[in-house]
Amino acid sequence: MGKPKFYDFCVHAAPDGDNTIEELSSLARHFGYSGIALANHSDKLPDKKPALPSIEGFEVFRGIELVEENPSKLHSLIGKFRSSTDVLIVHGGSESINRAALENPRVDILNHPAFDKSSGLNQVLAKAAAENGVAIGIPLRPLLHSRGSRRIRMLSDFKANLELARKYDVSLVLCSDAMSCYDLRSPMETLAFAEVCGLEEDEALDAISTVPEKIIKKNRPGPGYVREGIEVLEGEDIF
Amino acid sequence: MKRLLPSLRAKKRYLAFELISEEPASRGDIVKEVISSASSLLGDITTSDCDIKVLGFENGKGIIQCSHAKVKETRASMAALTRINGKRATLHVLGTSGTVKRATEKFLQAEN
Repeated sequence: MGKPKFYDFCVHAAPDGDNTIEELSSLARHFGYSGIALANHSDKLPDKKPALPSIEGFEVFRGIELVEENPSKLHSLIGKFRSSTDVLIVHGGSESINRAALENPRVDILNHPAFDKSSGLNQVLAKAAAENGVAIGIPLRPLLHSRGSRRIRMLSDFKANLELARKYDVSLVLCSDAMSCYDLRSPMETLAFAEVCGLEEDEALDAISTVPEKIIKKNRPGPGYVREGIEVLEGEDIF
Repeated sequence: MKRLLPSLRAKKRYLAFELISEEPASRGDIVKEVISSASSLLGDITTSDCDIKVLGFENGKGIIQCSHAKVKETRASMAALTRINGKRATLHVLGTSGTVKRATEKFLQAEN
């Protein structure tokens, strides 16, 4: 087995975050990532599509983090952005939005599902997430930037979601959710932090390398990729 | 006093790191923030097991010593550091080693 490739699938660049995508990409490359996804919030998009920098041996994926409070509007936003993005993230935060995101197989990741007094997931939603192949995002920034009671709340929500994800086999994605260069963490630090927070070593590794790779494969079908719902029959006497 | 045999000494790991920050910081600031971040993330008891010490720090690079069994916890608390003196900062671990000499040679001098 070769060295795993690491990806950070939720990075916010200017005008959403503080730094430009060029600065974030070169720092992420220095940290040892193989790729990042630029996922600005949909309510702070610039008028025209930003040009993605091309750096050798490093990929910048086009992503988006949809922020919407109305489930039916969310579905239409998903339809609007799906074909032009490699990574589609939904910013959760209410019962109906979490549900709408997890029941839509065109969504890749649901971030920040927690609201009020709930961790954001339950048995029904976790099952839906597993069926539709929607991953649950674990954004590091809120965990790193808070302390004391707020962080304790977030960690217990995270652990509740982790239990559900393990039970129903939902994929997890570790991402920095970086708003500036100072929010990026190198893959090894991210892994160490995730393990201290309760993930197993192999789960953490999957969440930062295998699951993102699968998402990209799904959205950029290359030659030989078998789409969902299609079965390849092999043998001589099929017809 | 006779020195302890290497096999009897407490085993350490040395993490070479670089500081990425808005404003330059001193060794004292880093010690303070790393310990405070560790005690907030891991609690005082685990932090005491980690045995974190900042050995040297100059030109934005330095070495942190920790117990060999607590490398993961130490890295996590370095990741949890977000600010130094109220200015945004982050510590990036360049690599780990079992001796100060090797950590310096491999991670701190190689790039100069």
